Amino acid sequence: MKNLYLPITVDHIARVEGKGGVEIIVGDDGVKEVRLNIIEGPRFFEAITIGKKLDEALAVYPRICSFCSAAHKLTAVEAAEKAIGFEPREEIQALREVLYIGDMIESHALHLYLLVLPDYLGYSNPLKMVNEYKKEIGIALDLKNLGSWMMDELGARAIHQENVVLGGFGKLPDKATLETMKKRLSEALPKAEYTFELFAKLEQYEEVEGPIIHMAVKPRGDVYGIYGDAISVSDGFEFPSEDYKMHMVERVVEHSFAKHSFYNGEKPFMTGAISRVVNHADKLYGRAKELYESHRDLLRPTNPFANNLAQALELVYFTERAIDLIDEALAKWPIAPREGVEVKDGFGVSTTEAPRGILVYALEVKDGRVSYADIITPTAFNLAMMEVHVRMMAEKHYNDDPERLKYLAEMVVRAYDPCISCSVHVARL
Amino acid sequence: MEGKVRIGFYALTSCYGCQLQLAMMDEILQLLPKAEIVCWFMLERDSYEDEPVDIAFIEGSVSTEEEVELVKRIRENAKIVVAVGSCAVHGGVQSWEKDKSLEELWKTVYGDGKVKFEPKMAEPVENYIKVDHRIYGCPPEKKDFLYALGTFLVGSWPEDIDYPVCVECRLKGHPCILIEKGEPCLGPITRAGCDARCPGFGVACIGCRGAIGYDVAWFDSLARTFKEKGISKEDILQRMKMFNAHNPKLEEMVEKIFQGVEE
Repeated sequence: MKNLYLPITVDHIARVEGKGGVEIIVGDDGVKEVRLNIIEGPRFFEAITIGKKLDEALAVYPRICSFCSAAHKLTAVEAAEKAIGFEPREEIQALREVLYIGDMIESHALHLYLLVLPDYLGYSNPLKMVNEYKKEIGIALDLKNLGSWMMDELGARAIHQENVVLGGFGKLPDKATLETMKKRLSEALPKAEYTFELFAKLEQYEEVEGPIIHMAVKPRGDVYGIYGDAISVSDGFEFPSEDYKMHMVERVVEHSFAKHSFYNGEKPFMTGAISRVVNHADKLYGRAKELYESHRDLLRPTNPFANNLAQALELVYFTERAIDLIDEALAKWPIAPREGVEVKDGFGVSTTEAPRGILVYALEVKDGRVSYADIITPTAFNLAMMEVHVRMMAEKHYNDDPERLKYLAEMVVRAYDPCISCSVHVARL
Repeated sequence: MEGKVRIGFYALTSCYGCQLQLAMMDEILQLLPKAEIVCWFMLERDSYEDEPVDIAFIEGSVSTEEEVELVKRIRENAKIVVAVGSCAVHGGVQSWEKDKSLEELWKTVYGDGKVKFEPKMAEPVENYIKVDHRIYGCPPEKKDFLYALGTFLVGSWPEDIDYPVCVECRLKGHPCILIEKGEPCLGPITRAGCDARCPGFGVACIGCRGAIGYDVAWFDSLARTFKEKGISKEDILQRMKMFNAHNPKLEEMVEKIFQGVEE
């Protein structure tokens, strides 16, 4: 069997957001090549917003990705506000984080129940699980609806939130809505915990066990969260967000519309829920802290499948955290919705934790217009590492039934929860 | 329609928001006894792109040569083709700079980097195939999907709305963002159906449902109002083009207002 090359390909990975495929080339001495093909077309978001009015560019950026449009909106707005020298009041910041958490809850619930769980239960499609897994589908819908309702109330809608504007919100929710939100979040807590218990039982494949470099935004205020001004690396290194280009180096690769990123120019790295947990578990509190302590062996830094469980842990954490943030805002009630903002010239970098990991926006504003834009999304950061893990899986299973290998390769990719639409909006070189 | 309706949901280049909006509807579970999902990669692993379907929903703009081929195949296999959302119907926000060359945009983002696929400037699906119906919005409202699916299932089709967001805004009683706040609201030229969602939050309409069809979008009249507020021609065009870059009337109508005006 000399020189026999067997391509095992999944043209279009199902149950992820966006269009991507996996290509595994097997020769007589094992796996030759593994490629994640990102086939979604380019949308040039940075290029099309240069020279545009700041508020219009901010309306367009969330359209990079629907699963994390709130993440894009809030990160872009923070970068813009840093650029023009505006700092939102604490209570506005708290409510923005609640909106961000709405995105986190919805996105994690969708990913875990609709995209990941069917693989484990032997279904090709989550809708087919309805009769046999009534409870699970019910919880999925409840959590998903809670997240989208939070985004409706705070962001004007669940996808592409126009209510977040420079200086604050177009309109704030009234006090009664926030009280209801607290109540619904409390009611969701047991459902989030059930999700954690459910995912703690699922297999994490040992084929992909190995050291991983994790990167996560260092939370502001020393509480596990979304916003921060520095990036922490699991090897102990830490750098200010402004220096992202020095330590998260991008390269164009031939088989992908999305670039690949490397830590300090050579090492693939991971970002996402498990990376946040690995780097910042000491900043968790409440029920999530307890669950983390009792399940440390499963939430380990060496397996990408642990990302699923880390997302479930975050469902618990962020549900509790949102309640605290709403209390912070309510303590300052009544609050003014929107401040007049002077659009000065400047440059700002915002790094936040989107559901899938570090999201970077660097914006320069000149004469009220965007004069430079650089956006790097979590999936783009993760692609190089994702390829490493698919290769590890392929190396153990290339002699198996190709269908089995495809399934496992897809599961590795799905554990990363890739947002392929997002990843196609890469920065300038 | 007799038996189970065969449905395909296909994605071109987009944010996947239209599919997500549909997937987030609990009502979709009620559709299942009546429909068979033949292709929907976002939710279904056993998806088949080249199977015959009764209704093909297409999301996204045509942005690669591969997608040109795909839409042609979808058309051949489908009885009804529905363009879903701003990207499929109008080319989407990625068409905002359609007057620039692909090479220029490519260079800004990728430098000298090359990939093995063939990118194209984003275009609406209708530039390549006949589209039977459109569901507007970025993203469409849930009720748009319910209405469209409901009408298809009884053998009818959804009707286009031919009045602007302003009508819904007035009915809701929101303060006028254009008149009272002086902001460049696109409500007057934008197809209604969102219940004036954004103006309800005090935010000016950015036109995400696209201009009203049947040539009743009065770009010129709104351009005159914007001009009186001191907004430049270029800025008016940019704002109106965000979701309407491929509209054949836009430029000409705005141009008319600025004829003979020195800027």
